[in-house]
Amino acid sequence: MADRANMLRRVQAADFAVEEAALFLDTHPKNDKALAYYKAHQALRKKTVDEYERLYGPLTVFGNESQTEWKWIDSPWPWEMED
Amino acid sequence: MWVYEKKLEYPVNIKIPNAAAAKVIITQMGGPDGELAASMRYLNQRFSMPYSDVKGVLTDIGTEELAHLEIVGAIVYQLTKGLSIEEIKRSGFDTYFVDHTTGIYPQAAAGVPFTASYLQSKGDAITDIFEDMAAEQKARTTYDNLIRLVDDPDVIDPLKFLREREVVHFQRFGEALRTVQENLNPKNFYAYNPEFDRVR
Repeated sequence: MADRANMLRRVQAADFAVEEAALFLDTHPKNDKALAYYKAHQALRKKTVDEYERLYGPLTVFGNESQTEWKWIDSPWPWEMED
Repeated sequence: MWVYEKKLEYPVNIKIPNAAAAKVIITQMGGPDGELAASMRYLNQRFSMPYSDVKGVLTDIGTEELAHLEIVGAIVYQLTKGLSIEEIKRSGFDTYFVDHTTGIYPQAAAGVPFTASYLQSKGDAITDIFEDMAAEQKARTTYDNLIRLVDDPDVIDPLKFLREREVVHFQRFGEALRTVQENLNPKNFYAYNPEFDRVR
């Protein structure tokens, strides 16, 4: 499970970069550097999220890929201790 | 609408339960400068806000505050997991325990339940953004005080993240205030209320 926690950390980092850029762009909507940063991290985030979901199950209710099981409800939930 | 992402915005992994810490940290869920008040303040102020960039700021910060509410809940949950009755009595957590066991309930540190009177949605752009900037500083001070009261690095780490976000949000609201003022009468920001009066 340490691998899952490490992979989740990469998702959190990629997500945070996009969210922080988005917040900056709200008040600087034409800032070239911020838009380039957003674009680069948007792509990284998608790649990281796709990889996480493929290995460890859905991050949102839209991401369940299994045809035999509803993986969304699998533990751990976010407030539970990571291993 | 909102979509839940099954992760915390910032990780919380607390190894040592500490009911006394939980009893004060709960204030950032349901206290006067807590995350529930923050999210409800911004997400409700959005509706009558006339400027697109400020609508974006209120939406995105309001949404992030919901993620912070979850982080604080995770901290309190982990701090109170596996406590013995002796620890609960000794720490002073018994006054919370009697009403909520170790369930998570939004209240202030002194036990006052969350109330919407902690926040305002005034329907006036300048007034609301000033309230928001003050709210971010009040929350920052509260996190400073919590960091003073806690000595476990596993608890301090997410508290420092949350504190830093208050500083960033204050900055963004400052920029939002500039937008509001640029749209108003430069000789008198208070000549009319852009959320109510017909613009002259």
